[in-house]
Amino acid sequence: MIQIATGDSRPIGKQIVDAVRMKIATGELESGDQLPSVRGLAQQLTVNPNTVAKAYAELTAEGWLEARQGLGLYVAPPRQRLSDAERARRLDEAIGRFLNEVVALGYPHDAVQARLLHAFRALVPRKTA
Amino acid sequence: MSDPDYVVQTVALSKRYGRKLALDRLDLQIPRGRIHAIVGANGAGKSTLFRVLLGFLPPSAGTAHILGRDSQRLTPADRGRIGFVNEEHTLPGWVRVDAVVRMQRRLYPRWNEGAFAEVIGHYHVLPEQRVGQLSRGERAGLNLALALAQSPELLVLDEPTLGLDVVAKRAFLESLMYSSAAERCTVIYCSHQMEEIERVADNLIILERGQLKNMSTPEDFCARVTHWVADVPFKGPEPAAVPGLLQVQRLDGLYHYLVLDQDETFAEFLRSCGARSMQSMPVGLDRAVNGFLAKNHAAPAAA
Repeated sequence: MIQIATGDSRPIGKQIVDAVRMKIATGELESGDQLPSVRGLAQQLTVNPNTVAKAYAELTAEGWLEARQGLGLYVAPPRQRLSDAERARRLDEAIGRFLNEVVALGYPHDAVQARLLHAFRALVPRKTA
Repeated sequence: MSDPDYVVQTVALSKRYGRKLALDRLDLQIPRGRIHAIVGANGAGKSTLFRVLLGFLPPSAGTAHILGRDSQRLTPADRGRIGFVNEEHTLPGWVRVDAVVRMQRRLYPRWNEGAFAEVIGHYHVLPEQRVGQLSRGERAGLNLALALAQSPELLVLDEPTLGLDVVAKRAFLESLMYSSAAERCTVIYCSHQMEEIERVADNLIILERGQLKNMSTPEDFCARVTHWVADVPFKGPEPAAVPGLLQVQRLDGLYHYLVLDQDETFAEFLRSCGARSMQSMPVGLDRAVNGFLAKNHAAPAAA
């Protein structure tokens, strides 16, 4: 189940993109699984179908999903979806954002690292197992 | 002149009530298709705009075209192409639901019984009930069903979900977004409820004091507004000197700035004002729109 919240600083389309990526990353959605139809997901979330269509288009362009003619959208087989440079850039960006938030909280570095490790372990049981 | 790709086109449209200018040389072009939300503070000119567009009021100056027709010369056939639902859901209280439906069916040549049934099916409305016996939500549903059954090319909704409970509101929005009749028309819709607009709107139109202030997707509008928190010892910069300022608050010794159209150079500005540290964060639609509208909202002259 994908869930969204209004009032979030992330637009609804972005929330859908993030949720699908997260489900693929954690293995909750596997390669070959079918996604809800645009209309179906829009109705389930009570959002404009165009918002879902745009989110799906982004996920497809990034290689997370693939369209099968006349059948709908499926999770694409895993492969490296971004160029090395783009991956590195996004990682830097994400770390920058994370640091900004976390530094302000004043925890010692090793405490933060331990928590982070813990969160990663909880997140990807299949991949690290 | 009017362009068929636009359902609404106004050129230098003004409407004056005595000393008050409700629409101020408004240039607005709304493209055909999709759901367009119009927001603005009370008195921004939304309802006046609708009244002029629907031909209920003459403009003081300028022109207004709706579906390519001069709004002051709409024929009954033109009106048949436009559905309208207003916030009061006005229908006479004594009239029976089936009588209203019979009348509408006769009036509109493109009446679509299936569309009516699809929408009204969300509500417990019986044919023999009188309009006055319906709840507000049921009346809203009835009005939307009547408007969509016209098979309009354009549906205009003036705060349609005002005062509806969550269930009625959801049913209303579902009909608006997923019913087959609504799919075929352009929807223009004004509301104050941002959580609804976030779900529904493809395009966000902001009016302020009778002028157009924004026309973009809701996401793109949100991206224009950022919230900066800065630790500025002593006195911060004069509000008038802050670029793009929408709102400033001092909370627990930190300055909170809500600013419009500022990039990372805003950090340099803060630093030049003596800020020791600062950070920026994105804001949600509600905050962005409220901040934007609050900037010029009427307030009593400072004492």
